[in-house]
Amino acid sequence: MIPTAMYIGLSALLFTIGVLGVLLRRSALMVFMSVELMLNSANLALVTFANQWQSVDAQIMVFFVITVAAAEVAVGLALLVMIFRQKRTTNIDTMTSLKG
Amino acid sequence: MLARLTNAEQLMMQLSWYIALIPALPLIGFLLNALVVRNERANGLLASASVLAAFGVALYAVVDLAALPEESRRLTVTLWDWLSVGNLTVSMGLLFDPLTAVMVLLITGVGALIHIYSMSYMHGDARPARYFAYLNLFVFSMLMLVMADNLLLLFLGWEGVGLCSFLLIGHYFDRKSVAPGIVPSEAAAKAFVANRVGDAGLILAMLLIVSYFGTLSFFGADGESGFLNKATEVSFISVNVSILGSIGVVSAIGMLMLLGVTGKSAQAPLFVWLPDAMAGPTPVSALIHAATMVTAGVYLIVRTHIIYDLASDAASWVTVIGGVTALIGATAALTQFDIKRVLAYSTISQLGFMIAAAGMGAYTAAIFHLLTHGVFKALLFLGSGAIIHGLHDVQDMRRMGGLRKSMPTVYRIYLLGALALAGIFPFAGFWSKDEILAHGWYFAQDYNITIMLIVSSLFTAFYMGRQIALTFGGEARDEDLHPHEDLGSMKWPLYLLAGGAIIAGILNIPGVHWLHDWLHPVLHEETELFTLSMGIFATITTLLAAGSGYLGYWLYNRMDRSQIRAGEEDPAHYYLGDIWKGFELGWGVDYVYTRFLVKPYRAFARFMYRVVDQQAVDGILVEGTAGLVGKLARLGAGAQNGNVRSYALVFFVGVVIVVGYVVFGA
Amino acid sequence: MELVLFSVTAIVALIGAVAMLISKNAVHSALFLLLNFGAIAVLYLLLQAPFLFAVQLIVYAGAIIVLFLFVVMLLGAERDEDEASNLRWQTPVALVMAALLVGEVIYLLMTPATQTVGEQAQSFASPTQIAQSLFSTHLFPFEVAAFVLLTALIGVVTLHQRRS
Repeated sequence: MIPTAMYIGLSALLFTIGVLGVLLRRSALMVFMSVELMLNSANLALVTFANQWQSVDAQIMVFFVITVAAAEVAVGLALLVMIFRQKRTTNIDTMTSLKG
Repeated sequence: MLARLTNAEQLMMQLSWYIALIPALPLIGFLLNALVVRNERANGLLASASVLAAFGVALYAVVDLAALPEESRRLTVTLWDWLSVGNLTVSMGLLFDPLTAVMVLLITGVGALIHIYSMSYMHGDARPARYFAYLNLFVFSMLMLVMADNLLLLFLGWEGVGLCSFLLIGHYFDRKSVAPGIVPSEAAAKAFVANRVGDAGLILAMLLIVSYFGTLSFFGADGESGFLNKATEVSFISVNVSILGSIGVVSAIGMLMLLGVTGKSAQAPLFVWLPDAMAGPTPVSALIHAATMVTAGVYLIVRTHIIYDLASDAASWVTVIGGVTALIGATAALTQFDIKRVLAYSTISQLGFMIAAAGMGAYTAAIFHLLTHGVFKALLFLGSGAIIHGLHDVQDMRRMGGLRKSMPTVYRIYLLGALALAGIFPFAGFWSKDEILAHGWYFAQDYNITIMLIVSSLFTAFYMGRQIALTFGGEARDEDLHPHEDLGSMKWPLYLLAGGAIIAGILNIPGVHWLHDWLHPVLHEETELFTLSMGIFATITTLLAAGSGYLGYWLYNRMDRSQIRAGEEDPAHYYLGDIWKGFELGWGVDYVYTRFLVKPYRAFARFMYRVVDQQAVDGILVEGTAGLVGKLARLGAGAQNGNVRSYALVFFVGVVIVVGYVVFGA
Repeated sequence: MELVLFSVTAIVALIGAVAMLISKNAVHSALFLLLNFGAIAVLYLLLQAPFLFAVQLIVYAGAIIVLFLFVVMLLGAERDEDEASNLRWQTPVALVMAALLVGEVIYLLMTPATQTVGEQAQSFASPTQIAQSLFSTHLFPFEVAAFVLLTALIGVVTLHQRRS
């Protein structure tokens, strides 16, 4: 039996790596991928606790997370493609219309 | 003490509401002139008429007063309760007793003449409505001063005349300088500030009176409850003045009032404003600085004479200041070359006579001199106005000369005034001045002061002789001047005043002392016996004065244009050097004030303006705050750079903090 | 034994994640992410979630990564971003914050570990049990999730419609 703490620790580490990816990478695609990583780390934590408390509901929650994540990726990438058509670059630092 | 009033007398008091008309009429004149009337001729007529009417009412009141038995000669009227705070009640009350009566007659009488003179003199002035309005306001304030039945109302008038003299001295406020190199607006400010310093003393005296007597009323509603009645009761109480030791209450009050008097009546050391006040129009100088405002101090002392009777140390201070001032004024008047400045310093000197007389207990003599001086000084000022007018605004005597030929009427009138001032028998000044000297020598036996006064009177005669010589004697020294005598309606006031200068002496001739008897109910002075030795004393002093007067005339009459030139020093400067210069500068008092008070204060004000106001307040506090807010805002706006990554970073920082709180804190 | 399994899988997951982070080539990043997803799927298996293991692989590894790769190829974004970042201070701050977070988590985990996870006596989340729960208790979210997918589909198609 493995202590819960180790799984949670792993989840936290993956989450942090995902955050760093969001903050430090400038390509929109890389940011997306990092977000997926973050989602996965959260899923991992959920499954860990599902196992600890013998709960099905948590796993079902993970199921839904995955579903919504898939939908979100689809739409997000579609938007990204549209933006790329306009700006010819995926560098998010150039997308500053919300400035001020 | 006055007896309790009988029913008849109380009835009389109720009917005497009309004395309120005396100050009311000039007040109405002021309001109309200030707000409604805009025509120059109408301004002048209205102003003169209001003062004349007041004079008429005053005459009627005098007749009324004379009809009353001597012990109850006082008309009073209480218009309304002014203020009522705790135990102190002050009413808007006027009184009319013999002392007030002579002051009122002087103020309205000479005042009316000066108003009439002004109509001609100020013809063509840029701001006639303002002038006549303030002249009326001045008369109103002065009347309130002398008719007040309590010290606070007197102070109202006191401040009012100070204000009006500020306004009137600064009548030419848009000019950079008037003849002797004085800026009118600065001269006005100087007058006001010097007065203010004195006023502080008067206010402190009022506070003392309130705390020890509980009332500021002179005689109270029933004639017996005022602080003057109760003064004897507290004469033994001492006030502790911290490190200075303790002093009797009455003495303290007396000395503090003296401070107020030195400011208002231009005594040492606060006389510096009066010579500069010549920057105002000449009729203003006549009214305010000869006949009326400056005499307010003398009136105050005489009205509250009981205080000085009880406090001999305060009284001796009064005398000393009066004597010293008389000397300073006389020596300074010797050296001036501006025609009005001579008269200004002469006024200071003569006020010193009056104050010294009051200090020595010769109250009637002081009032007598006040009246005669009012007449002949006004005459001299108006005469000098005629000269200045005839020479088209030249005031420097070094440029005059030989005017007796081109302005004969003025010459004769002026000579009359000069003889009166010098105290030559039988003109007005002789009687009043010699009464003061006689009292000082024989009754008060204050020899030092009396000698100072005698020396001053010798100088007085000398400088008047000098002035006559420089102005009227010799030959004309400046070809550019074309004097012409064009008196117009100025001559009637001049003639009337000249008549007064001749006969005013009979008010109080020894033996038939009408003024003394008239003022007796108020002043309670014993009649002084007139002895032969006093007569000889008077003759000697007068002969000495006449001699020095003629000496002055003779010395300066001989000089011609080679010795007296505009812009150059008086020939006497050659012989007396720095002493002469010291006299000319009023013994350096003004210099001390300017150098050690005014200049540092001005530098301080400039500092406050440039550094504190402009740099600190405007720069740092106002613009700095705005700039700081702007910078902070710009800094804050930097957070909205539109970059998603930085927003995400902020998110993340928040997450770290919250997690930290949950983990470590809660 | 289980510990070894866990450790190896965990390390693989971490390697994948870090490599994804620092890789300059987008395609390489996607593939490393795939590796990470795979490791996480194995972890699910270790945590007695076989259904999720399958779903993870099918959806994440099979669909989402593919989608990413499609877009990368489409946009030609294999190359790395060339210009220098204009938020130079972001890097150090982000790293510091990340370190802080990790520190907090480690602190949290220092508390004596009492709970354990791992192999259970009875399975509690077999596909049957999940299906039972999904179609009874959680029917409504299930339908909504379907709806979400439908919406996403329609949305994507709409976004790329040519104006006619």
